[in-house]
Amino acid sequence: MEPIQIGMVVSGIMVLFVVLGMRVAFAAGMAGLVGLVWIFWAKFGYAPDKLGKAITVSVKVAGQVPHSKVSTQALSLIPTFILIGYLAYYAGLTKALFEAAKRWVGWLPGGLAVATVFATAGFAAVSGASVATSAVFARIAIPEMLANGYDKKFAAGVVAAGGTLASLIPPSAILVIYAIIVEQDVGKLLLAGFIPGAFSAIIYGLLIVTLALILPNFGPPVRGFTWAERFKALPPAMPIFFVVFIIIFFIYNPFGGDAWGTPTEGGALGAFVVFLMAIWKGMRWAQFRDALLETAKLAVMIFTIIWGVLIYVRFLGFADLPGAFSDFITGLEQSPMLTLVMILLAYAVLGMFMDAIGMLLLTLPVVYPAVMALNGGEMVSAADSAFGMSGPMCAIWFGILVVKMAEFCLITPPIGLNCFVVAGVRPEVSVQDVFKGVAPFFIADAITIALLVSFPWIVLWLPSQV
Amino acid sequence: MAGGSSVLEDDSTLSKLDQRLHKIEMVLALVSGFAVFATMVFAVVSVSGRNAINMPVPGYVDWIEQLMPLIAFMGIAYTQRDGTHIRMDILIGRLSGRALWAAEFITTLAALILMILLVWGSWEHFQRSFDFGRPWWSNDSSIDIALPIWPAKLLVPVAFSTLCLRFALQLWGYGRAFIFGLSDPVAVPMIKSAAQQAAEEAAMLDSDT
Amino acid sequence: TEWNVSVWGKRRAFTEHVEKLAELVSEKTDGEFTMNVSYGGLSKNKENLDGISIGAFEMAQFCAGYHRDKNPTITVLELPFLGVNTLDEEVAVSHAVYGHPAVQADLARWNAKLLMTSPMPQYNIVGTGEPRDSLAKMDGMRVRATGGIGKAFSAVGAVPTSVTATEAYNAMESGVVDTVAFAQHAHLAFRTIDQAEWWTANLNPGTVNCPVVVNVDAYDALSDKEREALDSSVDEAIAHYLTNYGELLTKWEGILAEKNVTKVTLSDAELDAFRAKAADPIREAWIADMTAQGIPAQELYDLVMDTLKKQRM
Ligand code: NA
Ligand code: NA
Repeated sequence: MEPIQIGMVVSGIMVLFVVLGMRVAFAAGMAGLVGLVWIFWAKFGYAPDKLGKAITVSVKVAGQVPHSKVSTQALSLIPTFILIGYLAYYAGLTKALFEAAKRWVGWLPGGLAVATVFATAGFAAVSGASVATSAVFARIAIPEMLANGYDKKFAAGVVAAGGTLASLIPPSAILVIYAIIVEQDVGKLLLAGFIPGAFSAIIYGLLIVTLALILPNFGPPVRGFTWAERFKALPPAMPIFFVVFIIIFFIYNPFGGDAWGTPTEGGALGAFVVFLMAIWKGMRWAQFRDALLETAKLAVMIFTIIWGVLIYVRFLGFADLPGAFSDFITGLEQSPMLTLVMILLAYAVLGMFMDAIGMLLLTLPVVYPAVMALNGGEMVSAADSAFGMSGPMCAIWFGILVVKMAEFCLITPPIGLNCFVVAGVRPEVSVQDVFKGVAPFFIADAITIALLVSFPWIVLWLPSQV
Repeated sequence: MAGGSSVLEDDSTLSKLDQRLHKIEMVLALVSGFAVFATMVFAVVSVSGRNAINMPVPGYVDWIEQLMPLIAFMGIAYTQRDGTHIRMDILIGRLSGRALWAAEFITTLAALILMILLVWGSWEHFQRSFDFGRPWWSNDSSIDIALPIWPAKLLVPVAFSTLCLRFALQLWGYGRAFIFGLSDPVAVPMIKSAAQQAAEEAAMLDSDT
Repeated sequence: TEWNVSVWGKRRAFTEHVEKLAELVSEKTDGEFTMNVSYGGLSKNKENLDGISIGAFEMAQFCAGYHRDKNPTITVLELPFLGVNTLDEEVAVSHAVYGHPAVQADLARWNAKLLMTSPMPQYNIVGTGEPRDSLAKMDGMRVRATGGIGKAFSAVGAVPTSVTATEAYNAMESGVVDTVAFAQHAHLAFRTIDQAEWWTANLNPGTVNCPVVVNVDAYDALSDKEREALDSSVDEAIAHYLTNYGELLTKWEGILAEKNVTKVTLSDAELDAFRAKAADPIREAWIADMTAQGIPAQELYDLVMDTLKKQRM
């Protein structure tokens, strides 16, 4: 059998075991190891006495991957971003943000829902994980919306959708993972997420205001806050801005001149500030220990899937599958833009059944080189490219697009994780309710994605300033 | 794609072993957590040192790279114990009884075999970096300040061995559940809906504030 | 016979001899002996020796400085201020060292046979602001430099700072480092030249040594014709590499002019002072250290010096 065919069969085995309920990390690692054995044995001409040698070589090759791939400084951002999120909760930042947003934008039609979106966007600036953001806001924002007469389906939908902002607005664990798989500059990718994230939040906000104007019983504005009360609500939320400020200045100095350090350092410094804040707000050993354990659990889960998938990717390297797929994609006789849109649609379908990190890790090693080839290669200049942007810029643009797709999948049935989480936190809301309430946000997301595809400068303007 | 689950306990041998291993796993996971905290503090020290007294931590990148395996591997069995490693339960969530335990048994067995092989493979990786006859027993060193790499590489087979123990216990649990047709077996993660899971996550946050 | 070859990054001046070798070998054997060059698909660059030792692939490139303890003997070629001035000299000293029995024994621990070098020019520094054209001005300078070169800079009071090559551009922009030491192609590839206001033309503090090795068993298993094709192609592949890198160096001059980067020249007095402070103590420490490990360090160092002398006759 040709390596390409072996690649297909082994990928099939992996999918089978994933569907059977095997943990994705181990299913991918197992498929990779089986594939390596197959490739090496094929190389030895399937001689029966060489099977042992093929297994030995494969096990040694696979055994390198976990340590080798994990000992990367850039990956240290992931646990740091997770820790920030947990500490921010103990630092009381969630409540402070919601209160401030309520006082400032509550007067708008559908004001509390708009406030929820902006508060989740603010929390996104310290939290690197979408699901955690939804879980936290479901407890704070939904009761308040219900008390003010908002429709419960819609109140739940707002929180589920708002949570997805956390993975675009930096810090973002998933953007770091993308940067590492495709070997692009982490700082620029994080920076690139900023405007699309804010942009998504604004589109969500506009959607809510429009709905509130059309539907008479949508939910009343919250008025009556004096300017003094508004300004009083800001200081408790200040640490968020301080963290944003630190992270931005460590990636890029907006006033020209030197940035203050690397993104890794910025993330760490941000986490440290939130840590001090949490202690000041009364976090004690028991909570700190829980935060560390939860961070460890989430980080280990992510790292395990990273190395598991990378064993599979190592096998793909020996089978040269990425090269073959990229030849196939570039050989298609249709416009590159159509191909790109089809790839994004395929992500929408896949995302219905998979979680975001697993989906990106499994697909990017094959899809990313194909998309880069579609644009004209990694080193192509903007003038010669298919999408009108240079290779590195295309890498950033595609990264934001797939991450936005992955986030979109967090609110689509049947496995929209954010919706499950919101329903789980609020016993009075069923999963069906959340899916109904979040439906309008599909439209908002579809518009956002269409705009990001049509006007790449929304994504690329900020990183190109660096 | 749901993860976390609860593990039932009783006073059977299996459950006692499960609880004992759980204690060890928790300590190792805390080591992971502290390593996260340490990388954070370390970065802060490095930034301050560089900006305040022009003294960056020598070999900062090398040190972080040595810390990463502590973060990534030590908690691996703890994470498996309650089923946090993600999977797709769209099919398995619909099974029950013996069909469920059979599916769990098969995938757990496959994972156990994989991990035993990876203990071997990662041990070989460690061995290539280790030599009793050399200074610091080191046969492989970091790029900048030449730290020996074997301690970090040794963590992998050690952590993977604890995961093998965990898988072996779960295999025992699933096998028992299959043979006796149990509905609530001990020592294995029970599937929870994403909703249950989220509720518990929220409860955890509640209890602490 | 089909060989897998593990290199990393993208195809560039640094990998041209490997590509040329694959081309020549296939030509000479009428396609019987082919090589698939994989850029990072088979292994991480720091683990190419592990892959050779396992037998995962048959040929690989790596740099000695990535892991001193894996290949202590070749690090002689990375000592600061060896006085190697041209790529031809770099090839000559490298291949002389690769031929030494102690070096071959060192690499045999990895089941590896040294085939050829990937000659790299000296790692000169780029920086912003006032040119660091004297030792006094290097005091307190934060420089991205690893291994022996990093040690040399710290000997004159500079502060070697750890950043990865891919982060070098950001590190320079953000002031994490003031200067970056790279060979020319890397200044281009990692875009540090885009930040630079000046480049030291004659500091020549040293370089890294990056051999290409083959798996011993795979080499022995070649037919006589294939082995002959491989061995006879090395010089041609190196010649191709040198021509190609030569073009890059010409282009480099053009880029310096285009980007308005000042070529900084250090006076002989300053260079002598640098050598006295950095070269001698570091070399002596290296010799003492390696001798203690049972490596004929002095002999290897003398071999480099003699070869250099012969090369210049
Ligand atoms: Na975020
Ligand atoms: Na979904």
